[in-house]
Amino acid sequence: MFEFTVKYLNVLKNIPFLPHIFDGFVKLHTFIFRREILHFIDEIEKAVLSWSGTSLKTHRYGGLEFDVNNKEIGHIHSNGLMDVLLKKEIKAQLIREGRIQDHHTFANSGWISFYIKTEADKNYALELLEYSYILKN
Amino acid sequence: MKAQKILTGIVVANTFAILTIAFTKWLSWHHGLLNDLGGVFIYSDFIIVPILMGIIAAYFWRDLSLSGGKYTLFAICNATVAIVGASIFLKEGYICLIIISPLLFGFTIGGTFIGKVMFKKNKNTLNVSVISLLLIVTTLDAFTAKPYENMVSDTMTINAPSEKVWQYVVAYEPIKEKENYWLFQAGMPSPVQSTVDCFCQGGGRKCIFSNGYVFDEKMVVYKPNIDLTFDITHQPRDPEIMGHIDILRGQFLLKDNGDGTTTLTGNSWYRLYVMPTWYFDTWASSITRNVHLRVMEHIKKLSEKNV
Repeated sequence: MFEFTVKYLNVLKNIPFLPHIFDGFVKLHTFIFRREILHFIDEIEKAVLSWSGTSLKTHRYGGLEFDVNNKEIGHIHSNGLMDVLLKKEIKAQLIREGRIQDHHTFANSGWISFYIKTEADKNYALELLEYSYILKN
Repeated sequence: MKAQKILTGIVVANTFAILTIAFTKWLSWHHGLLNDLGGVFIYSDFIIVPILMGIIAAYFWRDLSLSGGKYTLFAICNATVAIVGASIFLKEGYICLIIISPLLFGFTIGGTFIGKVMFKKNKNTLNVSVISLLLIVTTLDAFTAKPYENMVSDTMTINAPSEKVWQYVVAYEPIKEKENYWLFQAGMPSPVQSTVDCFCQGGGRKCIFSNGYVFDEKMVVYKPNIDLTFDITHQPRDPEIMGHIDILRGQFLLKDNGDGTTTLTGNSWYRLYVMPTWYFDTWASSITRNVHLRVMEHIKKLSEKNV
């Protein structure tokens, strides 16, 4: 459903509040079927906010956004899909390692996407966010 | 203390919702949008109010260090109280509650997480501005809301000549087939029978539903084998439809295909008093379509029986 909406109804993301509400539905689905993902998101939120200069806001297209000095480090949608902006060469290397994928809408950019499903994914997500944090800080 | 704050959030959010919906209905009523209940359910009632309910609850829960799962759970409780409240205070039927539930759950959860982040940042001026803006939009919405009219059309080919189909279009014996539309199976009344006072223009027609409710109709166009158009003169005062939708007119058009078959078209016109129309009209057109199909399938079966 998330993939379908992002692929075919992407234009709707520009309607005020709609992405946030869609994220609300995604959260409801995650709460019912994959509750552990919400726990992983909580842990990531706690860890990132312990880094100096970081802050939290709702992402303009739904989900939680982590910033450092008002620059985005990355954001997590409520289904556990995390998007992080890295340098293209780092992205190419990570894709070769096979753990991340191209961003779900912005291919050919420094954005990467990564699904958090397990404890190990959560730890790797934190590593990716830390890369981005170092780049932006 | 924690439980008390959670409860306070839910109670205040729901009290706010009741007062706001009462206020916007009063405003829309004063603005001249009269129907059976007075006023309409505006766009904001099912979108901005649940978002604000979430934000208000999140304000009371801001110091509780709740996990994302707990926020979601309590937001679900918040929306559930609103749904129970709608059944008590607004006398909504359970079919209506099924229809509004996805909106209330999605928007309340969305609003709760917007609130969670808003109050974490502790930017009070921004927070007050966002909430004020949403309240202003809600008020303006009550002034600009208009009932929405739509027509649903369905077509079916019947393997019988038009004069044979016509006799079952005007009036038909009770439908005994099993329901196959999930809302009918869930208890929503479905059409059962149609009767007429006379086979003539201006005659009265009754469309009887499975729960005994009757739609009184007047046949305004009566062209045998071609066109039966009827206006709804009285619809049942059922909480599921009262103040939400008015069925205005129905029509059956028959086209003789010249090969012993007939194309039957069923049209219905209705006026919706609940918004957002992009959401509620999806339900209204789906229900209308299934009413059409149930009747038209029955007409097809009767017409083809002795051909």
